Amino acid sequence: MNREIYAYKCKRCGTMHYPFRMVCKECKQNDFFEFDTVPLPKNGKLLTYTKVYNLPAQYEVATLGLGIVELENGMRMLGQIEIDNPKMGMPVKGNVEVVRQEDYDDFYGMVFRDA
Amino acid sequence: MRDVYVAGIGITTFTRLEFALSEIASYASMMALKDAGVSEVDDVYVANMGAPRVNHQTALASAVVDSLSLTPAGAAAIENGPASGGSAIKAGFQAVASGMSDVVLVAGVERMREVNNLEATDFVATLTHPIAEYIYGVTLPAHAAMFTRLYMEKYGVTERHLAMVGVKNQNAALNNEWAHLQQEITLEGILDSPEAMTNNPYVAEPLRFFDACPVSDGGAAVILVSKEKALELGRPLIRLSGIGQATDTHAVHERVEPTDLLAVRKAAADAFEMAGLTPEDVDVAELHDAFTILEIAESEEVGFFPKGEGHLALERGETALGGKIPINVGGGLKGRGHPVGATGVAQAWEIVTQLRGDGGARQVEDAKVGFTCNFGGFGNNVVCLTFVREG
Repeated sequence: MNREIYAYKCKRCGTMHYPFRMVCKECKQNDFFEFDTVPLPKNGKLLTYTKVYNLPAQYEVATLGLGIVELENGMRMLGQIEIDNPKMGMPVKGNVEVVRQEDYDDFYGMVFRDA
Repeated sequence: MRDVYVAGIGITTFTRLEFALSEIASYASMMALKDAGVSEVDDVYVANMGAPRVNHQTALASAVVDSLSLTPAGAAAIENGPASGGSAIKAGFQAVASGMSDVVLVAGVERMREVNNLEATDFVATLTHPIAEYIYGVTLPAHAAMFTRLYMEKYGVTERHLAMVGVKNQNAALNNEWAHLQQEITLEGILDSPEAMTNNPYVAEPLRFFDACPVSDGGAAVILVSKEKALELGRPLIRLSGIGQATDTHAVHERVEPTDLLAVRKAAADAFEMAGLTPEDVDVAELHDAFTILEIAESEEVGFFPKGEGHLALERGETALGGKIPINVGGGLKGRGHPVGATGVAQAWEIVTQLRGDGGARQVEDAKVGFTCNFGGFGNNVVCLTFVREG
């Protein structure tokens, strides 16, 4: 199943937002939920990253890779990274997967790997 | 708008405290009430971030006002993440400045050691964006680490600069009996020696253990009063002369220039404008060094140094006691500790201590103007304050 994460495009001025916000940050004129959903691109370049060693209680792994990626359309998003030797500026490819599990809930988010 | 003065201050030791949350707040408050010489107040504001989640207690201000036998004074808790303390001081200022209140108690408190470190880390992480950040396992150290990497790349900050901030602030805490960390560290021990990687492991690369503040319990309090009341009480006249608060995008990735902290820039500029001061006027400053990189970045954004040159000023010793603009002479969050809701009030406590000339071994000579920067979220909600000694 090909899952997507969506950006929100203001129907009045066309400005794209991720994550969702109630009021367009550009025109500030939209009515309630006046946005189109547009799938975020999955390819981009790694802007910055870290490897975290002390994780929130739910994570039963030793370390977790995180990064901020600049996507092909210029928008940015934060995601998990599974890259052995990450470098700033390297091309990455995202996939929507389970990023957090809590009891009976699965949370989906973007995981980036070496393109 | 009326002028507002700080007539009393109080603090608890920042460490692991085996006392009830409301008792920690009340201890610091009692000290501040005694310092000011008042036993009645019009309003109480209690800054706290985690009571409902970490301590299973809501409506904290109602507990504190009663514990102090200050009823029927008005009381409200203020939760604004790590900027709760600064926000509560702002609320107290507004109450007095507006003329609605003459005497206000502002207390800040946190008891995070009631839960284990993993739960405490998760609790603080709940301030991040729920969908775009939190679900990924983002922590505040992770945000600071990603910010640090960008700063290193753009401005030439190195792990040595970060360690220098850590050594400066943790060792400054040795001069502060209330501070959490009372252990001297050296660059040799945390960076240069073969044991450094064991002593000082990575928490979130490139940030290491000694780049982060400890998880602390503690409380701090200030009494804000009108000028008339301040003159009547006869305590040193310390005026809370400027307040700036600004916000930024909730999700860090949405910021146009990811190395800018625009909320810090705006909050500081607004505080200085309100006070009729400039950054050059400041004699002593408390910056929010939850991570060592933040002291460097904030020292630039508030206007002490040009953008990208904070680490150079650090190298020249300008931010140490005796330097051009001493920063965090009481240890900062790094050395004093960071009970989240208490921090903004503890910063004010340190500045008032300095302006009164009560700093002892850490006293900045003839300090007349003080400044605090209380950094909430990852820079998305910031309160800056200026304090001036009159007479």
